[in-house]
Amino acid sequence: MRNKRMFMLMIGFILFIAVIGFSLSDRKEMSWPEKFLRDTAAYVQQWFYKPAGYIAGFFEDIANLRTVYEENEQLRLTAAAYSRDKIKYNFIEKENIRLQEELDFTEAQKKMYDYTYLIAQVVSVSNDANNRALTINLGSNNGIKPNMAVTTVDGLIGLISSVTPFTATVTPITELNEESPTFNSIAATILGREDESFGILSSYSKETERLTMTKIAETDKMAVADTVITSGLGNVYPRGLVIGTVESMQVGDFGLTYTASVKLAASFDHLTEVFVVKVPEMEEASQ
Amino acid sequence: MSMNRILVLMIALFIIEGAIMPWIIPASLGSRIIPHFVFVAVIFSALYSDRHRALMLGVSFGFLQDVIYFGHLLGPHSFVMGLIGYFTGVLLEKRRATLLMAVSVIGFACILYDSVIFFIYRVFRITGETYAWALLNHILPSLFLQLAFALACYVPARRLFEAHSKTSPDKDEQ
Repeated sequence: MRNKRMFMLMIGFILFIAVIGFSLSDRKEMSWPEKFLRDTAAYVQQWFYKPAGYIAGFFEDIANLRTVYEENEQLRLTAAAYSRDKIKYNFIEKENIRLQEELDFTEAQKKMYDYTYLIAQVVSVSNDANNRALTINLGSNNGIKPNMAVTTVDGLIGLISSVTPFTATVTPITELNEESPTFNSIAATILGREDESFGILSSYSKETERLTMTKIAETDKMAVADTVITSGLGNVYPRGLVIGTVESMQVGDFGLTYTASVKLAASFDHLTEVFVVKVPEMEEASQ
Repeated sequence: MSMNRILVLMIALFIIEGAIMPWIIPASLGSRIIPHFVFVAVIFSALYSDRHRALMLGVSFGFLQDVIYFGHLLGPHSFVMGLIGYFTGVLLEKRRATLLMAVSVIGFACILYDSVIFFIYRVFRITGETYAWALLNHILPSLFLQLAFALACYVPARRLFEAHSKTSPDKDEQ
């Protein structure tokens, strides 16, 4: 009896290690039982997440009534600035298109920054402190692919890690970790000095709640309170998504480069609608 | 029939965990208080039903969680939930635990569960935080939520699992 239990425990342990090894390997796609289970669960969960959100949102609105007046004032200022900038933007865009025509840009080059924003509903949040994955209700049937960026109106929140036909899983940017075998780094730059500043967002420290940006050149003019955006270099992630603000800068590990700690712009609590940024397909043959 | 009812209720708990609890927990504590209601139900089944049922429920619902919220690893929840459920059953299944006993066992089990999961992620280098920080950041705060849940559903859970083990008496005694 005792031997049998020990034996079963060992078999269970070996199975557990095997399954972990299997999931750590670089899988391109999930197996169909996984897809089926996820789609079914997401289908049921979306009936609950959204109504719960509406009810909670109603109470939050009541709590926020007092700040509405100030917010309105600020929005009016932003709207005025926006209408001024819009006129300027139209001129510059026309000019840009004219120049692209004259320089004989290929079709792929013209469409390179033509991002589409797909709106998605959050369906559920994982209840594991080390893996706060979100599920959204768009999947491979809607053209979602792994590694697409996901944002809210405030800023970047994460990357798509896996897709099923009707759902996709978002790994939040707070799971960013240099040492982790399952996550990539993101190239970043500073708003307003896009071609001068450069850094790599390498890891997020949950203890200080700040993102670390490494490999900043010594000559870089990055300063505290600058807005950090994605740079789009490498064409994997789209450019121009707000990530956060620089909070402090230090000399890096070897004294040759700088590191900066970045405070995230987006909040991860009570998410409802997120945007998946779809980068136009690049055809290598046409270039 | 009763087993079906247990399964339906646990699936409902699973859905509540993922879809409704994020809204009930205040916004600033979203990453600190984390519900593990299904795990509490597994421990209840170990205390008031039998250990094999706890093992089965733990492994299957843990696996459900692993698959549906797959982010980095497949398997830790399934393994840990099944193992803790089974050994709680081995230790305490024959005694009819009182309220205080049940709540303290659930408290210890929750701490153990969160710690083991944390160390599994730590071994595979998916998190780099220290254990002391994890303990204060999410393990202890979410313990209170689990204890409150265990207290709230102690009576119905006990009735449900005990009624079930009476209808099928001692079939696991080999």
